[in-house]
Amino acid sequence: MKVLVTGANGFLGSSLVRALLERTGYQVRCLVRPGCNLGKLDVLIGNHPGRIELSYGALNNYQTCLEAVKNIAIVFHLASAKSGAPAEMFHGSSVATKCLLEAVRNLAPTAKLVHCSSFSVYGVADLKKGETVDENTPLERHPEKRDTYAFSKWHQERLVREYCQKHGIPTVIMRPGVIYGPGGTPISTRVGLNLFGLFLFIGGRNMLPLTYLDNCADAFVTAALNSQFSGEGYNVVDDDPITAKEYLRLYRRDVKKVRSIPIPYFVMWLISIACEKYYARSKGQLPDIFTRYKTASMWKPQRFSNKKLKDLGWTMNTPTETGLNINFQSLKES
Amino acid sequence: MKKLRVAIIGCGQIADGHVSEIQKLKNASVVAVCDTEIIIAEQLAVRFGIDKYYESHVEMLDSEELDVVHICTPPGTHLFLAKAAVDAGCHVYVEKPLALNYQDTVELVQYVLDAGKKITIGHLSEFDPPTLELRDLVKKGVLGDPVHVESWYGYNLSGSFGKAILASPDHWVHRLPGKLFHNNINHMLNKITEFLDDEEPEVHAFAWRKDSDHSFGDVRDTMYDELRTVIRGKSVSAYGTFSSSVRPVGHYVRVFGTKSIIDLDYTSRTVAVDRGATYPSAIGRLIAGYHKAWQYARSAARNTKKFYNYDYHFFSGMGLLIEKFYDSILNDAPLPISTRNIVRIAWIMDRIIAQVHGENKS
Repeated sequence: MKVLVTGANGFLGSSLVRALLERTGYQVRCLVRPGCNLGKLDVLIGNHPGRIELSYGALNNYQTCLEAVKNIAIVFHLASAKSGAPAEMFHGSSVATKCLLEAVRNLAPTAKLVHCSSFSVYGVADLKKGETVDENTPLERHPEKRDTYAFSKWHQERLVREYCQKHGIPTVIMRPGVIYGPGGTPISTRVGLNLFGLFLFIGGRNMLPLTYLDNCADAFVTAALNSQFSGEGYNVVDDDPITAKEYLRLYRRDVKKVRSIPIPYFVMWLISIACEKYYARSKGQLPDIFTRYKTASMWKPQRFSNKKLKDLGWTMNTPTETGLNINFQSLKES
Repeated sequence: MKKLRVAIIGCGQIADGHVSEIQKLKNASVVAVCDTEIIIAEQLAVRFGIDKYYESHVEMLDSEELDVVHICTPPGTHLFLAKAAVDAGCHVYVEKPLALNYQDTVELVQYVLDAGKKITIGHLSEFDPPTLELRDLVKKGVLGDPVHVESWYGYNLSGSFGKAILASPDHWVHRLPGKLFHNNINHMLNKITEFLDDEEPEVHAFAWRKDSDHSFGDVRDTMYDELRTVIRGKSVSAYGTFSSSVRPVGHYVRVFGTKSIIDLDYTSRTVAVDRGATYPSAIGRLIAGYHKAWQYARSAARNTKKFYNYDYHFFSGMGLLIEKFYDSILNDAPLPISTRNIVRIAWIMDRIIAQVHGENKS
């Protein structure tokens, strides 16, 4: 049996490919851009001869997608744009997804699609402080008020849901929280922001929806193998979350010193009001990086549930303490 | 007051700048956007609160009763889209380059003029604060007669658009006759034609790919990223440089006149006039440094004042260009950029492209 992984040389992608090679007997086709750095995939190709097939091309090219989905039983769709101008991010996420879905419909209509969405699709700004974000939490009503990444991920998931429902493509939507691990972002925005060399510590005692890279990849494989996973969204977070404060403390202890200024939530709220006023008055002389909506979406304290994922058989193999140790060790060495 | 009904065709990266600048004006409003990829049109419309978005320009032009259309699509589509907009009774703002070659440029300009409509091109740096200050200095006679112009345009292939070009051999830039240069050197050339009075100056160009050791194995290997040009008119000569490898990425112009040399830096938005040493001997050289420092300090102070007064936007050149273009439509004011200049730049670009990539007959 052959499976396809888009975004295979990315942060989560290469970990998923490794999990597939170790946990299943599948042949893994990896879709990568021509001329790109294969990164960790090179090592996996060497360690698992004959199990990985590279397919080159851009995902927003329909012919590339047709070639990529030929004889595929499961599609793991991880590719999406992480940065860039808005139009470019939508090209890299939604337009690319549309091409892939069209190819799946025409050439592999019975293939199972495991789509990588994000926690950012939830409309958490409307929730009360301390409320739990689970799969029943309403999806974002104003994605355009969030940052472009959140908007493009929301749009991408909507496209997948509508398309797969319309054309009967079996689908699972995975919504990882903050994926951490070697090669990832050292400190999540949920902890704070680096601004002009100074770290604004905004997260305070908020719980972080962390998921260790390998745990997250395991969840994707479990979702693909278990037929009970179908047509719905699943949160992917680890069992033993820690607070932003604890994360920063451990980072300082194990990696390096960080000069930071703690910014309480209500101060952040006031800063956001000031930024909104300045943005309106100056007609956008500076970008509206802080707004009340963005602040509420990112830093309002919430809790996170992974019950639905666990009920279907996923177990966390790497505890957070171990995951953080590996991550911080890797950051220190780099 | 009549409010112009404006639409955008092509909702890529630059369309954000167009919409945000138009939305600052009281005499115009963006009523619709269009892109052949409906997702891209939708994201722009939703982010900027625009009611209508289309994937067919024909449907949009038929339905919206527009006054002005901004064409922000890849250059190969400009000619036919601009003609379609003019046929629908619209004035057109066309992103640079206006068309794929000189012939198409002349054809489009004539088509618009014959229809009694107005046209402008996206030469926003012609209205950036340093250019405005330069024009003011020239008008006051500070420069004297222009003798030579050096125009430097740096490009960042590691930026978001540059990355997109390098990431895919299917990117539309690779299909332009002049490839990367075709999409960018208008900004280098329009500083030169500002002082050059000739219709057909002498043009010499050569180009290469800096990182030629790295091979993509496809069309990307034929994309040059370094260009040097020498242009000679009857009374003014010029050097034009396009570089993708020099850091920091800069955008500079230096104009040499019979009375002074004027230095423009578009990144820091500073202008400095060098009138030479005014004191004798070593003291003259000493004072000259302070004189320059004083001029940069004054430029920075002026910029700070503008920032304080909310008049220091990233796309201020585009904002002023659009404002002047709409003024030409509503009040019959002169066009912000003469059609003669548009056509002359297309002629020079054809010469450059022919010399570095072969004859431009697209």
